[in-house]
Amino acid sequence: MEKKCFSKVNVLLAAVLVVAGLLAGCSKSGAGSGEADGEWAGQKINVQLIGDFAMETKTDPVTGESVKGVEVLKEEFEKQHPGATVEFTLMPWEGYTEKTQAMITSGDADVYQMPGTVDFAPQGVLEPLQPYIDKDEEFDLDIFIENQVEGWKALGPDDDELQIYGLPFLGDARFIAYDKQLFDEWGVDYLSDHPTMEEVAEKAKQMTGKNPVTGEQNYGIWFRGDWSSAFTLIDLAEGQNGSWGSGFAWDEIEFNFDSPEMVNGLNWLLDMQELAPEGLVSNQGNEKWLTEENNIAIMLNQGPGDTVKPAYAQGLEDRIGIAQEFKNDEGVGGLFAGSPITIAKDSENKDLAWEWVKFATSEFTQQYIFEEMGLVPSIKSAMEWDSVKDTELMQPVFEAMSSPWTPRYPWGSAQPRFILTSEVEAALTGERSAEEALNKAQKESTEWLENR
Amino acid sequence: MKEIFRKGEYENERQGGNRESKSGRYGSKQTYTSQIDKKTSSPLTWYVFLIPSFLGILLFMIYPIFESLRLSFYQSNGTIEHFIGLANFKTVLTSGPFWNAVGNTFFIGIFQIVITIPLGFIFASLINSTPRGKNFFKVIYFLPNVTSIVAAAMIFAFVLHPEMGIVNYLLDILGLPTPGWLSDPSTSKWAVILLAVWHWIGFVIIICLANLQAISPEMYEAARIDGASGIQQWLFITVPNMGGTFAFLLITGWIGALQRFNEVYVLGGPNGSPARSIQTMGAFIYERGFTGFEFGIASAATYIMFMIILVFTFINLKLSNMKI
Repeated sequence: MEKKCFSKVNVLLAAVLVVAGLLAGCSKSGAGSGEADGEWAGQKINVQLIGDFAMETKTDPVTGESVKGVEVLKEEFEKQHPGATVEFTLMPWEGYTEKTQAMITSGDADVYQMPGTVDFAPQGVLEPLQPYIDKDEEFDLDIFIENQVEGWKALGPDDDELQIYGLPFLGDARFIAYDKQLFDEWGVDYLSDHPTMEEVAEKAKQMTGKNPVTGEQNYGIWFRGDWSSAFTLIDLAEGQNGSWGSGFAWDEIEFNFDSPEMVNGLNWLLDMQELAPEGLVSNQGNEKWLTEENNIAIMLNQGPGDTVKPAYAQGLEDRIGIAQEFKNDEGVGGLFAGSPITIAKDSENKDLAWEWVKFATSEFTQQYIFEEMGLVPSIKSAMEWDSVKDTELMQPVFEAMSSPWTPRYPWGSAQPRFILTSEVEAALTGERSAEEALNKAQKESTEWLENR
Repeated sequence: MKEIFRKGEYENERQGGNRESKSGRYGSKQTYTSQIDKKTSSPLTWYVFLIPSFLGILLFMIYPIFESLRLSFYQSNGTIEHFIGLANFKTVLTSGPFWNAVGNTFFIGIFQIVITIPLGFIFASLINSTPRGKNFFKVIYFLPNVTSIVAAAMIFAFVLHPEMGIVNYLLDILGLPTPGWLSDPSTSKWAVILLAVWHWIGFVIIICLANLQAISPEMYEAARIDGASGIQQWLFITVPNMGGTFAFLLITGWIGALQRFNEVYVLGGPNGSPARSIQTMGAFIYERGFTGFEFGIASAATYIMFMIILVFTFINLKLSNMKI
């Protein structure tokens, strides 16, 4: 009898749980339900974002200020699109490629922030955006900063020409940063807005040694000798009117890794290494940069994320200067970077996803990413915002954003990048001469192309 | 097994009996045991309990193993695939960076094992013979092993900083040359070995201590009566009795060493900077698969790595006479 009672209780408990589960599963969550009626009733999209985004208000670890979460975007988007629901999948930069691959393979999201558009578009998993742009009379590509749309063009599996698979969401740029205080203490003129390799080398040489004012050891220059060294070298070649090579589709690509401009550029880096602290190839030696005790005068290949926000957070904005990377005679050069926003091919609500893409590139969202997150906007009108005008260091950043090499290097995250990086490291560590290293990089990259 | 079952049956009978005597609710002892028997004797019941873990193994182990094998015969960028037979295996086996990664993996692994096992055993012996503070030393030496290897690698990058690191500071005080450590391909592997030894030695000490404490004290007593010195006791009683533990440490150490990824990824990135000097097989697979979207090549390299580990573990088992 006792046993029967016990089993009845069990059955009852299980039934209650099942009913509760069903009710919970079928119900709409309070915050994200949107309105039952409206133009977009019943439509839902999942948006993937990469970086320091959070759903709710949080404290910025760099500035210590309170930062609103993406719930602000959700609220505004759902207000503008009655009946629609937007959900977010937020992920950090660490391992974003494999996480994005897993998500897109399993159809997890409708909209992706996707720096690897060049790699994902050939998989046929992204929706071409040109038809949406053509159809939407409200939307105009002219809203974006020069070169930003061009930079993200990519080839789909069946494309013969570059197509738009992503629209600029987060801006980014590469530039040369320098410490004005060290220049003053050494009595050296600041870098010009568009310095040449000779100017940088000469000034770096002048500022290496015991600082005449503080007596501390100063170094004229620093650059990362490992992860991004291939891009630093390519920019040096571009500054001499050279290039990494040509083509975009793998079967059309030809590398110029062993060109005279590249060899000259690598020899220049070897010379500059003598003016830098130890540890370039292990990303060390720059620990004092952006601190009061800084001991490095010139930093090559820097980005706004590592420079602008930390400089203002540390109160060092007046001390930091920004000059453009090395450009060719047409004023073009340097790595194209940032994050576009894309629509998944298998999205069930592509029209709503397109609405999100427009919303992500609207003034509302772009202002949010700059003023709340400290990220770089990708639209021209940002330059007129008071918040941008008050941030003086942003002006050269916008200039750098408008003149990188476009489209983005197609081999930027493929094997040739790692081959070239390893060979730059081999030269910097004295394993091979610049010429030998680049000949090896050229040979191995070409063989990789032929065998793929 | 049969005995256990009988014991269980007896226990059931006993419980049934107890219940019966206390409450008198069951008709008879026989009826109750037969009810229990009916429930437990159905083999299906036990399989139902196994389903969750079996599904986990099926989904997260068996399926990826076969999927990876399938992928190794395809050129795959993650979505679009073409069958290319054994071409991926040929590419990997003729790739200079792959064999460089194999060499790095073995170099770091050999020195990690050759240094850590003897050193850990010596430390364990010293701790075992310490009259006071055994637990204190056990905790101190075991602490690195419970530290995340990722966090430890980041700290080691500072410790081995060429200009600001404490190691070079001490070497400089002693008048010794200060190497570039992670910024020099000739010393970067030693930086990883140092980290690996520091991280693993606590585990080796604990395992050795467990064995040391299991050696019969009568053997030492007899040796002392026969006039054996402390060193002789250690050499002729302790060391020979440690065979099984050394074999265990050797095999587990090798498997871990051949799979090395986390610390080299933190210290040198996927391409094992500088100049691929600390790129291991695991890092090579990651570089080709997740940064280059060459999933077929990464899968082929994974299977080659699996074969290398299999052969090496087999050799280790033979050499160490360990029975599994």
